Amino acid sequence: MQFSIQREVLLKPLQQVVGVVERRQTLPVLANLLVRIADGKLTFTGTDLEVEMVATTAAEQLADGEITIPARKLFDIVRALPDGVRIDLKLNGDRVALHAGRSRFTLATLPASEFPTIDEIELVERVSLPEEVLRDLMERTAFAMANQDVRYYLNGMLLDLQEHTLRCVATDGHRLALKETQLESSVAARRQIIIPRKGVNELIGLFETGDGQIELEFGRNHLRVRRGDVVFTSKLIDGRFPDYEAVIPLGADKQATLDREVLRGALQRAAILSNEKYRGVKLELSPGRLKIVAHNPEQEEAVEEVEADTGVSDLAVGFNVGYLLDALAALRGEKARLNLRDAQSSCLVQEDDNDQARHVIMPLRL
Amino acid sequence: MDAFYASVEQRDDPSLRGRPVVVAWRGARSVVCAASYEARVFGVRSAMPASRAERLCPQAIFVPPDFTRYKAVSRQVREIFARHTDLIEPLSLDEAYLDVTTTLSKLPSATATAEAIRQAIREETRLTASAGVAPNKFLAKIASDWNKPNGLFVIRPQQVEAFLAPLAVNRLPGVGRVMEAKLAALDIRTVGDLRVRPLSELEQRFGRWGRRLHELSAGIDEHVVQPDRPTLQVSAEDTFEHDLTLDELEPHIRRLAEKTWAAHQRESEGEHGRVARTVVLKLKTSDFHTLTRSLTPALRPSSARQLADIACALRERVDRPVDVRYRLVGVGLAGFVDRDSYFAQSDLFD
Repeated sequence: MQFSIQREVLLKPLQQVVGVVERRQTLPVLANLLVRIADGKLTFTGTDLEVEMVATTAAEQLADGEITIPARKLFDIVRALPDGVRIDLKLNGDRVALHAGRSRFTLATLPASEFPTIDEIELVERVSLPEEVLRDLMERTAFAMANQDVRYYLNGMLLDLQEHTLRCVATDGHRLALKETQLESSVAARRQIIIPRKGVNELIGLFETGDGQIELEFGRNHLRVRRGDVVFTSKLIDGRFPDYEAVIPLGADKQATLDREVLRGALQRAAILSNEKYRGVKLELSPGRLKIVAHNPEQEEAVEEVEADTGVSDLAVGFNVGYLLDALAALRGEKARLNLRDAQSSCLVQEDDNDQARHVIMPLRL
Repeated sequence: MDAFYASVEQRDDPSLRGRPVVVAWRGARSVVCAASYEARVFGVRSAMPASRAERLCPQAIFVPPDFTRYKAVSRQVREIFARHTDLIEPLSLDEAYLDVTTTLSKLPSATATAEAIRQAIREETRLTASAGVAPNKFLAKIASDWNKPNGLFVIRPQQVEAFLAPLAVNRLPGVGRVMEAKLAALDIRTVGDLRVRPLSELEQRFGRWGRRLHELSAGIDEHVVQPDRPTLQVSAEDTFEHDLTLDELEPHIRRLAEKTWAAHQRESEGEHGRVARTVVLKLKTSDFHTLTRSLTPALRPSSARQLADIACALRERVDRPVDVRYRLVGVGLAGFVDRDSYFAQSDLFD
């Protein structure tokens, strides 16, 4: 097995796969990348048994073969080599020799046969959508995922596929983020899968700007994402996501429409004097106006008043200001709408003219 | 308080008066909780193994501790303190720092306040107490030991240096056997020896601790008396008659979890109640290595049972060989937060 390649051309696929490799592994071979040359293509595979990433690139002077090489070391060497240098890599016995300019490295290997790969995923549904759209869906909801929650099914993102609609939903049990898009084609049966947190973050790191297309393959226990140069596969979280539609308030009849950036600015300033741990702010609605009040244990106080298009009077609700700011940052458009009911009920935050993005936030009892 | 637990026992049982009394549980691994002054003559000290105390003083009368009575006396004594100041920092059941810079009783001096307190304790509890009066906490602590039992010792600001100079360095708080040896290697044996060393030398050798040593040697201690120091941890622990394997600890962990949970419930009650989020498992191996493992779950434990389950599960994080045996296990709760704030965030999926 051997190939010759320019440093920058090699660096990109290495960057794409190395993030998957954990720093501490259960099996020695999981510290390595599978390097394979076949059919005139060079592919790199990294895995942690949950998430697998395969990146393909073109190289020269190819000689077919496959081997596994320490991932971190290979990546660190290639990254540290000078720009534009040509890299020659060749397997000699059970060692890999890497030459670049006047640098020479010999790396240990493990046989490719020891490397676990995910081959078949028992495909049940396939959809295609622009990369930009999927990126938007995931980036604008991922922040609400739980982290190391005992409710393990919250430590990930729900992909909910129904008729013409694909929804991404994430929640940590206190707030929920949802964003949806319309697909070109419709699916026969509803599919709900949960991608683990790590898979979501790796996938988001992979997205590029441009007008490329992405294939999503829903398997029985896996999700596979294909883009020209990479194939990402993640195991799914085997659990039932809570009935999220039931917690999106329908009876939240008290509305206020505000300038999104003005509201964000006011909340950011009020947040400075909120309790550092619980970050509570009180929202008080009165006709034409939203008042934001924050207190901290030192009895300091912040009061902000924002012009609001509302007829609601005498409503006061407490929220974690961080959740409100996250939601507003994930929205687009000039106007944001708050839908409230009372001090015990959740708040729905969305763009004023559409409900493609919805954020549900539970109150704080202040 | 002087020989506190032993003195309470002697007060309540006239037959014990004038005789060597050792307060300790029965058992191979029990340690001395307190020794009367009659027992101390034979070399018996608190915290020494009870078996050793028995060898030193075979005629001693061993009495099991009764913390209910000790706590009642402790409350009585604190009430006496409270007549003079609100700034009370309890150290244990029978020791406290009091800031008497200004007092409620308006007595003319700190010395007069100390005498008034000692007299009230004597009259109301029929027990004796010793007091130290000094410009700061660390000197007051040394002074309180100076004329024990039933004594008072005053260090006035202008006497501080002369008082400290001849003292052995191990009288300074934080100087134990290891530090004492390190200082001896530098020819520093008394506080006076330490005092003449330049700050730069001490800082170079001991870092931030060097600065603290330098300050202590000059009688400087900026720590203020802290009333109502919040609880950092509640815990219960137990030493076994015979060392146990990790697997055999479970019933003990469950029993201790009940005690810890009861203490936690007391802390969480009341208007400003606080709740703990972190579970701590403490173990001591048969060769006296102490290890702790802790976990802060997303949802705090809300029953003795859950606490016990988590503490038992923490055993999996002990990476010692399976044949290691343990002489002690403890279950604790730490990471206290304000109860009302903890419950303030409502949940989407209830």
